[in-house]
Amino acid sequence: MQLDQILLAVAIAAYVTGALVLIAYFLSRSELMLRIGTPLAIVGCVAQFAELGTRWAISGIWPLTNLYGSLSLFSAMGVLIFLIFAFRYRVWFAGGFVLLIAAIALGYATTWNEGFMPPVPALQSYWIKIHVPLVVSSYASFMLSAVVSVLYLIKYYGERRFARGSTMNVAAATPAGSIPVTVQSTYTALADDEIVIGTPRGDTPAIAAAAENGNAVALWLATLPSLAKLDVMIYRVVGVGLPLLTIGIITGAMWAKESWGAYWQWDPKETAALVSWIVYASYMHLHTRNAWRGMRSAWLSVFGFATIMFCYLGVNIWISGLHSYKV
Amino acid sequence: MTAAEHLRAGLQESVDDFLRLFASVYFAVSLFAVWGFLTLIGVIVEQGKVPDFYWANYAPPLARLILRLDLDNIYHSLAYVGIIGLILTSLAVCTFKRVIPARLPPLRAVTIERIPLHATIPVEGDEREIRNRIEQFFRAGGWFVRKRELGGEEWTFADRHNWARRGVLVAHIGFVIIAAGTTWYWASGFSGDTAILTGATAVIPQTGAQIKLDRFNYRFDPIQTKAGLVYQPIDYVSQVEYVGKDGIARSATIRVNHPLDIDGTLYYQAAYGFGAQFVLTKDGRVTANSPAELLKEGDSFSVGGDRALEYAQFVGTVDPKTGRPSNDPRPNNPAVVVRMVVGGAAMAAGMIPIGSSIDLGGGYRLAVPRYAIYSGLQYRYDPGMGLVGIGAFVLLTGLCTAFYFLPARLYVKLNGSERKWTLGIAATTVKGYEVFEDQFRELVAALRRAARTGETNACS
Repeated sequence: MQLDQILLAVAIAAYVTGALVLIAYFLSRSELMLRIGTPLAIVGCVAQFAELGTRWAISGIWPLTNLYGSLSLFSAMGVLIFLIFAFRYRVWFAGGFVLLIAAIALGYATTWNEGFMPPVPALQSYWIKIHVPLVVSSYASFMLSAVVSVLYLIKYYGERRFARGSTMNVAAATPAGSIPVTVQSTYTALADDEIVIGTPRGDTPAIAAAAENGNAVALWLATLPSLAKLDVMIYRVVGVGLPLLTIGIITGAMWAKESWGAYWQWDPKETAALVSWIVYASYMHLHTRNAWRGMRSAWLSVFGFATIMFCYLGVNIWISGLHSYKV
Repeated sequence: MTAAEHLRAGLQESVDDFLRLFASVYFAVSLFAVWGFLTLIGVIVEQGKVPDFYWANYAPPLARLILRLDLDNIYHSLAYVGIIGLILTSLAVCTFKRVIPARLPPLRAVTIERIPLHATIPVEGDEREIRNRIEQFFRAGGWFVRKRELGGEEWTFADRHNWARRGVLVAHIGFVIIAAGTTWYWASGFSGDTAILTGATAVIPQTGAQIKLDRFNYRFDPIQTKAGLVYQPIDYVSQVEYVGKDGIARSATIRVNHPLDIDGTLYYQAAYGFGAQFVLTKDGRVTANSPAELLKEGDSFSVGGDRALEYAQFVGTVDPKTGRPSNDPRPNNPAVVVRMVVGGAAMAAGMIPIGSSIDLGGGYRLAVPRYAIYSGLQYRYDPGMGLVGIGAFVLLTGLCTAFYFLPARLYVKLNGSERKWTLGIAATTVKGYEVFEDQFRELVAALRRAARTGETNACS
């Protein structure tokens, strides 16, 4: 067994185990699970980057010239971006799902591994070392934003469900039941030591009320960050992904200019990337409107990731074009 | 009111309506949605094919829809160009109506407790000293500090990253520059392609440049994969001699990713193929229909009436055991696939080894005595290239500015008397409050230390 294969096996094992442990953390909020899951995510990520580097060293061929290589980078970057956001913004609750997707992507990638293949002439360019990592990193960012968006939606619809079930008109009492986030009314002053600081009161009062009554689902939902905080997290991650996608499309256009003679050939891959860019640009525009922050923009983020998956895998596999480098 | 005034008022109202609509973010996003939808159609429906392709590959109602609505060439359709025009209009109106006029809120007194992000900190000490500490704290953190006497009270305002409010404007300008660059290409640029057989010379109509193909080399490496033996293309190289505007002949090589620049026009290695010589005879004599020159794949020639022969495909290597094409594209045992076309419809096809002939019946015979390799070059003159590059850079700068720099304002007021004070602080940002909440907490904690001890190395 070669070193790259050993590293691949380590990465898959770490991701699968890490996913299970972090999902257990997501369900139980046990700090022990977090303490086990975090190193597993780091080990998997490091092993995967090492595997890509080893493939490069062994063959002398840049490892991102085919779907196997790019899917490997997608899962590694997905975990890396998750880890950065988790350490900075405490999004550990999303880790199980990110690692699960990383493991699935990596497992699927192995089905496209045809060994060491020298790149076709169009791919023999320094641009491949710039364009592909940028685009794949943007896909990975959008994966994380989609995961957080799904969690947002779970909490949002949980709040609606509990609000419907309660005797008092919670939806009328708080904007969270009817409109996802209206910041002004979700704040109240709380004493903290000698400082009095305005903090969010919580935008899911129905969940909080149900949790106080001992409802297990509500207790679990209450441990997720507030809807407003989740919305900001999604925005921050999309704020990383969209510039990356923009630079990726621009560098791709520059490469196309050098390779094919035109910035833009209306190739299915290019146009599918443009569709994704349009969706996320719409997200950014709509996020400036209060009425669109929250549930609607979370749905848009999920839809955006669906377009990314179509652009990434759908076009590569089902639609032939200038970007058909499947193997 | 006179008729002219009525007209003017009506016109003004229409202009206002137009500006209101086009400056609306929702309208812009609606245009984005239509743009995305049309683009997606172009991804799903194959573009630029002949009508027969759609009739053959889609259900008749769908094929009719595709052809009637121009969905087969959607990116150049009126609807597509129109939607991009509307987006650019919306972008321009939005820039002038919404982005440029967006100004910082004036420096005014606020009720600190009514701003969601707020805090109060009890402080003891001399008022002047505390005020100085606060000011130093903010200045050390890169905040732009201003003091104002409002309603008889002294307010301190601290702003950060105000310039970043212009990020959206910069991004919009980037789009306009890119649009200008591509328009410049449409206005005065050109592109085309040419296929040059080995030894032949092509003259580029737009520039008069002459390009002679001395030699075309390709390299395929046989690689054993899990799926079987694959012939991986490694290199395509055209060795050419060219004459530009100065009339001097020069030699050059053109590779994929390494175009040749002749007087500002770039020539790209785009394709290659095999030209084949066809000789059609009837009763042993060459017919008048027999092509005089080598045909390229896809070419056809008439054989009388509504019948034609099409050179469909070059087969590099025919497997001698099976007599069928192998997957080795290199010409080791070459043949051509010829298709009979009757009334525009493809009929029977057959394979003719190079150097042999087949009987077509009725005394007709088709021979393929030789083949020659040709190189397919694309050329393009794009004067807007620099502008597009600048536009892309400006767009990115604007996006990064808008996303990664958060303009924020702090309102600070000191209440109290003698040596007991309460420091009130509130924060607003252009992106709501949650996005600044964590930083605000850190800021307040650091401000508390600074207000009490003068420590300024805390927080920005």
